[in-house]
Amino acid sequence: MTTAIEVKDLKFRYHDGTEALTGLNFAVAEGECVGLIGPNGAGKSTLLLHLNGILPEKMDGTATVFVHGKPLNEENLPEIRRSVGVLFQDPDDQLFCPTVFEDVAFGPQQFGVEVLPAVQRALVEVGLTGFEKRSPHHLSHGEKRRVCLAGVLACSPRVLVLDEPTSDLDPRGRRELKALLRQIPATKIIATHDLELVAELCPRVIVLDHGAIVADGPTTELLDNEALMLAHGLERPHIMRHRHPH
Amino acid sequence: MRHDFLDSHSRLDSPVHRLPAGIKLASALLFVFLLVLAPLPACVPIAAVLVVVALLSRLPASFLVKRLLLLEPFVLGVAVLTLFQPHGIEVFAAIVARSTLCLFTMLLLSSTTPFAELLCVLKRMRVPALLVTTLALMYRYLFVLMDEGERMQRARACRTFERRRWHGWKALGTVAGQLFVRSTERAERIYAAMLARGWK
Repeated sequence: MTTAIEVKDLKFRYHDGTEALTGLNFAVAEGECVGLIGPNGAGKSTLLLHLNGILPEKMDGTATVFVHGKPLNEENLPEIRRSVGVLFQDPDDQLFCPTVFEDVAFGPQQFGVEVLPAVQRALVEVGLTGFEKRSPHHLSHGEKRRVCLAGVLACSPRVLVLDEPTSDLDPRGRRELKALLRQIPATKIIATHDLELVAELCPRVIVLDHGAIVADGPTTELLDNEALMLAHGLERPHIMRHRHPH
Repeated sequence: MRHDFLDSHSRLDSPVHRLPAGIKLASALLFVFLLVLAPLPACVPIAAVLVVVALLSRLPASFLVKRLLLLEPFVLGVAVLTLFQPHGIEVFAAIVARSTLCLFTMLLLSSTTPFAELLCVLKRMRVPALLVTTLALMYRYLFVLMDEGERMQRARACRTFERRRWHGWKALGTVAGQLFVRSTERAERIYAAMLARGWK
């Protein structure tokens, strides 16, 4: 199996001196779906922003992130931005265009892909055909989230990085998003507090706390470990207690 | 919370709404030029045309009047200065009449054309991309900002137990300051989201 993302000794410190990541090492194979969990402020979002080179703002010589074997540096940045799609936590940050169509078209335009078919395909994928002319501030939260996802999918990324995809969604929105994510064949890395989502979608989970990886292994094993979960601001999800088909 | 104050009636259906945005923008600009440059008597037929357009557009008259009155203080603020010169009254009247008609023209344009379509026209007219992007972002985030301000105001109101005016003003200042900080932070996040989708 080929490696999609490899992180080697990744460290990051914010301007104010807070140490956000303290030397992370892990690899994600192509097609894998990995859950990234941990308490608030553990460094999940910071880590995600490193996977397509939004952080660090200034890159020095040594690469710490490798995408499909290529080091993430200034030279590979455009290609890596295209192959790694990021879904941000707040849809209002991500939907910056006046209409849904323009927003979904933004990525393809930048990357020089033929716009119209890419947008149509992406909107079909998230089930929002006919929304082209709507403006983002007139959509429900779940719809906004799906438009964001369409904007990312329109660039046909090979790796999908999601930051809290189910936060602020009602149960129906969550269920729809979960079904949607399950259909997408790309490699997925999902940072979330929604442990049921992790249990259902991700065979593997990485636990992050204080900027370090404290556990990395099969989801069924780690989420079932009550001591580990409680020690890192998490809890053993209900779904682990009775894993029989309903 | 669904704000729609900028182009609230722009999605109605009428002969004026159906006209292509480019034609509407061009004629609005032409009208404004004429209103500024033509001798005052020539403004009367222009005004008549504008009224006909307004009638055709089926925009509620009350909405148009309210909107005009809302903008009028800005016109009056400038025009009042002319009163302090000889024949001030005439100049004052001329300025108020011309500016009000210009405002009316733009009001008709923005109420019969969705903002996104206007932006498309600007883009096609090769208005610098930076300017169009700035306008687009402004339009997009004005509503987000208003929602945020409203939520903060509401939260503040829930914890305000006395009705002293000074207190209110001070709290308003804090909300405004907070809003500013939050917007700069949001701007950073938006920029990151744009970079993530290949913005150069």
